Amino acid sequence: MKCEEVEELAGAYALEALPAETLREVQEHLESCSQHPEIAGLRAVASSLAEAAPEMEPPPGLKTRLMDTVRNEAAAHATTPAREAPVGWLRRTMTPRLLPYAAVTALAVAVVALLAWNVYLQTSDDGVQGGASVYALANGGTAQGRILYIPEEEVAVVTVEGLEPLTAEQTYQVWAISGDTSTGIGIFNTSEGGEASAAIDVDLTDAEVVAITIEPAGGSPQPTTEPILQAKL
Amino acid sequence: MEALYDRYCRRAFGLAYRILGDGPSAEDVVQEAFLTVWRQADRIDSARGKLSSLLMTVVHHKAIDVLRSRRGQTARHLPTDPGVIEHAADTLDRVEQSLDREAVRDVLSSLPPEQLEPIRLAYFQGLTHVEIAERLSLPLGTVKSRLRLGLQKMRSALEDRVFK
Repeated sequence: MKCEEVEELAGAYALEALPAETLREVQEHLESCSQHPEIAGLRAVASSLAEAAPEMEPPPGLKTRLMDTVRNEAAAHATTPAREAPVGWLRRTMTPRLLPYAAVTALAVAVVALLAWNVYLQTSDDGVQGGASVYALANGGTAQGRILYIPEEEVAVVTVEGLEPLTAEQTYQVWAISGDTSTGIGIFNTSEGGEASAAIDVDLTDAEVVAITIEPAGGSPQPTTEPILQAKL
Repeated sequence: MEALYDRYCRRAFGLAYRILGDGPSAEDVVQEAFLTVWRQADRIDSARGKLSSLLMTVVHHKAIDVLRSRRGQTARHLPTDPGVIEHAADTLDRVEQSLDREAVRDVLSSLPPEQLEPIRLAYFQGLTHVEIAERLSLPLGTVKSRLRLGLQKMRSALEDRVFK
């Protein structure tokens, strides 16, 4: 499919109104073409249509049924081993070129980076590999992690472990620091085990340090606490 | 789960009802959507802030599935797996943060009818652009461009609201 055709279909794509075959062609195109920044914005607008439906009070019986089901399943689950929460499940979540919009506004957990992650990190634990650089995140404590940065994609994949799980009022925030300028580049929360893996769409060319701090939920404009982890680039 | 339900049930039910037009089906969809999100909670833990938008996307996709099968149309298989719909949720979340619901309704109602109708058929009826063209007896190219123009117009109107 050509760029012009994809542009023509941008609205239908954003509204998830493409037949399966056409959808696949558009997705394949977007995976290898960065010329369609408009699409992510249109998707955001299309998603906002959920807000156009007026709120309605559901019948009270619904809550009772739902909570009964939840309780029954929870009881059944309690006797079975916990499920794994693999990183790979995000693989199909989005097309790579939707990354820029998401990243301008929020932490982007992106398929492109996870694919890159698999490619790069399964072959190499450290050092430079295929144009990507890996930096250790540490600060003397038990928490540690790594940053994989892929300059040509402008994607950084941050993986951490041993972090304290936070309360609902807190978040971990990632900063790109250059001189005395700190720029928030993403926020994340950890699993119960204190692990997290996140891809961030960011140009780290000018950054000297990447640091992670604990901030109030939603993130801060500037760091308000000392870094838990940092990496010198 | 109970807190989640209490907080979002009216929005979820409102959307399902808007799509399906009857209470019992909307109830089923909302119940299924909450259960889907709850069952996958361990997979979306790191995106806690986005739970509500994820939920709304699941409600939307499930409701469209029901609507289409009711009409005897082929299923669209819109994803209802929280992992798969991560992106849509992410973007919806952004809109939520910056806009109130009224803004979306205002902007939608300000669209010219020829752009509103295809968007309405796509989002609330789950039609593909090919089906919309058939339904409205319009050339496919016209439908493509109206869907795009309509969303573009919504976007700039929403942006005006955010930045004004």
